[in-house]
Amino acid sequence: MSISAPPLPPPTALSRKFGLRAAFEYTGVPLSLFEKRPKLPSRNWLIFLTVSSSLLGYYVYDRRECKLIRQDYIDRVRPLSEEPMGKFELPRKVVVYGAKWPGDEDWDRGTRYFRKYIKPILVAAAVDYKIVAGKRHGDLATRVANDIKDQRRIDAGLDRPWESPMPLPSKLSPEAERHRQLEGGIILIGRPTFKEYMAGFCRGWTESLERVDYEEILSRELQNDGKFDEPDVDEPPSPVGDIDEEPLPTPSRLPPSRRFSPLGVMRDNARIPPQTSLTALNVGTSSAGADIVPPIEIPPQPPLLLVPFVNLVGWRLIPRLIWDFFNERHKVKAGAEAGYKLIKNQTRPFVSPGRTPNENLSFSPNMELPRNSQDDLEFDRVAETYYPPSTSKILARIAEAREEYYRTALEKLKTARVLARREREPTADELKNPPPTEVEIHDERLKKEVRWRGEEMGWNVVKPDVPVHWDPRMDGIFKVFKDPDLPLPKFSSGA
Amino acid sequence: MSFFGGSRNGGGLNNERIEAAMHEMEMITDVFNRMVSSCHAKCVNTRYADAELSKGESVCVDRCIGKYFEANKLVGETLNSTAQAAGGGGMGSSPMGM
Repeated sequence: MSISAPPLPPPTALSRKFGLRAAFEYTGVPLSLFEKRPKLPSRNWLIFLTVSSSLLGYYVYDRRECKLIRQDYIDRVRPLSEEPMGKFELPRKVVVYGAKWPGDEDWDRGTRYFRKYIKPILVAAAVDYKIVAGKRHGDLATRVANDIKDQRRIDAGLDRPWESPMPLPSKLSPEAERHRQLEGGIILIGRPTFKEYMAGFCRGWTESLERVDYEEILSRELQNDGKFDEPDVDEPPSPVGDIDEEPLPTPSRLPPSRRFSPLGVMRDNARIPPQTSLTALNVGTSSAGADIVPPIEIPPQPPLLLVPFVNLVGWRLIPRLIWDFFNERHKVKAGAEAGYKLIKNQTRPFVSPGRTPNENLSFSPNMELPRNSQDDLEFDRVAETYYPPSTSKILARIAEAREEYYRTALEKLKTARVLARREREPTADELKNPPPTEVEIHDERLKKEVRWRGEEMGWNVVKPDVPVHWDPRMDGIFKVFKDPDLPLPKFSSGA
Repeated sequence: MSFFGGSRNGGGLNNERIEAAMHEMEMITDVFNRMVSSCHAKCVNTRYADAELSKGESVCVDRCIGKYFEANKLVGETLNSTAQAAGGGGMGSSPMGM
């Protein structure tokens, strides 16, 4: 009898059945999975992975650095905000100006830069701020000029400062208010803002104190320029009594743009505060302030923080935009350093230009003067090279729009006059959508002219070939925040 | 208008007006309470390490209150204009009764 032993399985198969591999195999995991040999992905995959991971890594690194830099500066200034503050004390307050950047539809780019990069440091240091932004070129200059003129009127006793109907214990005296302003500071974001601020400042301290309604003057000028006059006037337009209700406007029909101002009432019983001898002498001579001469000396001003700022607009700057996107930390560092300078409150005198006085402030395009590169009026001049090329045509575009408007407006005006005199019946379409009346056309023209002239004036202040306004009286009144003497935080050496 | 004395001459209290005044008062109180609680939650550190507010807290509270009123005013104006556009004549006042 022979016992036939069952054939033994090959030793390799036996060994396979042991261990983890066997366990996986019996649970249905395919064997091929264990036999997979690692190998490099294909060339294209390698390229894709390398590029995308480098970009992602660089982005993450940049944002991490941003956080660290910001946090570092915040930690530096935080002790200031932890000081206790009495009930009637007021914090330091700065004014932030941001003008429109030429060629950008978004008017608030400058103030957005402030909010993103400088504000966190100010908030951490408990410095209060007020943002003033200009929506069009020239808005900021007008605002600054008007603020200064308002203050001058108050100082000259022509107006009374606003008083709360309820006496508040926290209300500061004018002197204390002035002192607080001087201790605060002014932040100017970028070259256009600087130019507009200086232009407004010059205007504010040079122009007459008379309250002028520019719209009223303009409307009078527009009436007299004869552009909307009828070519052959058969009859005077005013004595048309038979035309019952239809508006046939004469100049007086224009809606008055002047509003009632309580200032005029206040002016009558204005009291004269103790002032400089120059203004005090002039107070009695005119209640309107038209003949008050501009002061010979301008009082000291709050220190300026000049923040370099470039807004990248246009196709040609897209590579730079991409570079900026991955290098946000430079902007964060610049903004944080600017905020830190302001908080440390160390100042140096404004380096004024050594050039001939320019009192007329004319806007001749060829007024390029030799400048010292250390001159503070040269602040951030390089930013002007970033204006989009289309900005050189701003004035031409306005002129074109004006011409186009007058061409269509004259047509409309003709229709309006014919209809107003009932020389013909309105068509069915005109009955459904009544065409504008002459009053409306005049009103529209005034609005458009106000806008165009404002933009022209503003651009003539901001455009690159016009120097910053300067007046010899401004010598020595400005100060500029400088880098603190103390060592800067560790990130200042370069991120 | 005096809340309680002024309308006696007209023959008794004007209940409607008192109702309206009470309603307005409630709205003001409500807005005020909401404002205080949200600005407190935003600005004031609840560790209360000091009896006085710190500088940072004061500035924060100041700006918070300013923003709250501003937002409230905007909402009120929008509500009013919506109500007027709907033809109802509106509530005639902002949520704060201002």
